[in-house]
Amino acid sequence: MRRPTHALKASFSAFNVAKASFSALRPPEESDFRSAAHHERVTARVGLWLGIAFAVCFVTGLLSHFIQQPPAWFTWPAEPVNLYRITQGLHVISGVAAIPLLLAKLWSVFPKLFSRPIVRNPLHALERGSILVLSGAAFFELGTGIFNVAQNYLWGFYFPTAHYAVAWVAIGSILVHVAVKLPVIRRGLVRLGAPEEEPAPTRGTLSRRGFLRNTWLASGAAVVATAGATVPLLRDVSPLAWRSNKGPQGVPVNKTARAARVTELATAADFRLEVLTPAGTSRFSLADLTAMRQATAELPIACVEGWSQLATWSGVRIADLLRAAGSEPGVSLYVVSLERKGLYSRSTLPGTHTADPDTLLALRLNGETLALDHGYPCRIIAPSRPGVLQTKWVRRLEVQ
Amino acid sequence: MRIARAGFALAGLAMLAYGGWLGWAVISASTERAVQVTAWFVGGPLLHDGLVAPVVGVVGLALTRWVPRPWRAPVAVAAVVSAILTLLAIPLLWHPFGVGTNPGLHDRDYATGLAVALGVVWICAVATGFVLGRRHRGAAEA
Repeated sequence: MRRPTHALKASFSAFNVAKASFSALRPPEESDFRSAAHHERVTARVGLWLGIAFAVCFVTGLLSHFIQQPPAWFTWPAEPVNLYRITQGLHVISGVAAIPLLLAKLWSVFPKLFSRPIVRNPLHALERGSILVLSGAAFFELGTGIFNVAQNYLWGFYFPTAHYAVAWVAIGSILVHVAVKLPVIRRGLVRLGAPEEEPAPTRGTLSRRGFLRNTWLASGAAVVATAGATVPLLRDVSPLAWRSNKGPQGVPVNKTARAARVTELATAADFRLEVLTPAGTSRFSLADLTAMRQATAELPIACVEGWSQLATWSGVRIADLLRAAGSEPGVSLYVVSLERKGLYSRSTLPGTHTADPDTLLALRLNGETLALDHGYPCRIIAPSRPGVLQTKWVRRLEVQ
Repeated sequence: MRIARAGFALAGLAMLAYGGWLGWAVISASTERAVQVTAWFVGGPLLHDGLVAPVVGVVGLALTRWVPRPWRAPVAVAAVVSAILTLLAIPLLWHPFGVGTNPGLHDRDYATGLAVALGVVWICAVATGFVLGRRHRGAAEA
């Protein structure tokens, strides 16, 4: 059954590269790479999945961007309550899955780096340049993303703006790349008539199918190792999930009261919540809020950084509070925190959320008085919203 | 197909232009910012083409030289998965600039977690290697 010519072709590339380079002391050439991993059918398949991963990242990232900076035409529903938790979880999980896919894709096409002449004509130069942009943007997005979820800021720029700008560059250059390579992609993805045309490599390591399986396995391992940050079933399985169960009241904290410098104001006996409506300003003490009709909701805190935690919140419905202050549910509400400076010390609750019965000014979390780090004396908790918009230590609500 | 290609190209160029315009707003703010964004943008391809891919090649070479055939695939797969897991652990293990303490975030024992995960990966690889080795010998005897 052994077919020596095929076996030779399938032998592992590095072996050939090293043999050729060391003996003749020359840089490797494209034809030196003969591993099955460099076959266009492998490239096309890994490329397809990498493209899907980036498309999911782009769409979910765009949604998250619009929720945080909504254009006039955009509305985001309050139901189902887990919607943002799912879209943002998908964003981070598909990003993690894309890391092994990108590396496999680049290993598959690595020989092309050595194709000569370096530039054949202006169009060819443009194509090679566009691939540098594509790979630069892809690494930028995955690299800054994975460091950002670890809150490990190896940069001085503002992450959301840069990550958002380069997302357009990445998706744009992917589309241009697909346009250029479409004939090759179609050829690479078409099913072959004979199912078993590929012998096992006799001198190399992995066959084409073996390389693909290894890629899927590495991607799967990457997802399982991290997805516990948001998938409850994997919480105790994922060794590299960036959240733990050690947060107060079972919920992680993204900014402590100390870091926000609100401890004194939040625990002051004369704390009053101000609600500004066209009818005037109403003030509520913590006792007033506790005396109002209390509602309970099971809602997740879903961070833009991809972790999430479901919890039981209770407090005053924003709809009830608006009525008590002489306004109506369905208006948009500007929320101001006791925190003076932070980027996320203010937020705007859109009308779809102020009308939703699950949107609360929470006073209690998982059966206890709200911990100081979770926003004591009162915080916003609304369904299907990014955690950064669930403003803590609320001082004032202004009807807009 | 020509229409599809033109559609992809036009949409892609428009998105690239928009991204470039947004990106310009980020980097034109200061020289320092321009340097940092450019470093992150160019750093990936440079690090990959200059270091990661050559290392993959050399490790592959070592595999074909020194690892017996039935063991090559399990060892290669385990090496790839180990490298990916280690890569994902870097931002959690290496904090050159320190981060604020946030209870419930980034406070697990990642070194032990990674070690256990790598242990599981290599136990699977060794088990697979033994099975393949036995099958290989069986085939050779038959």
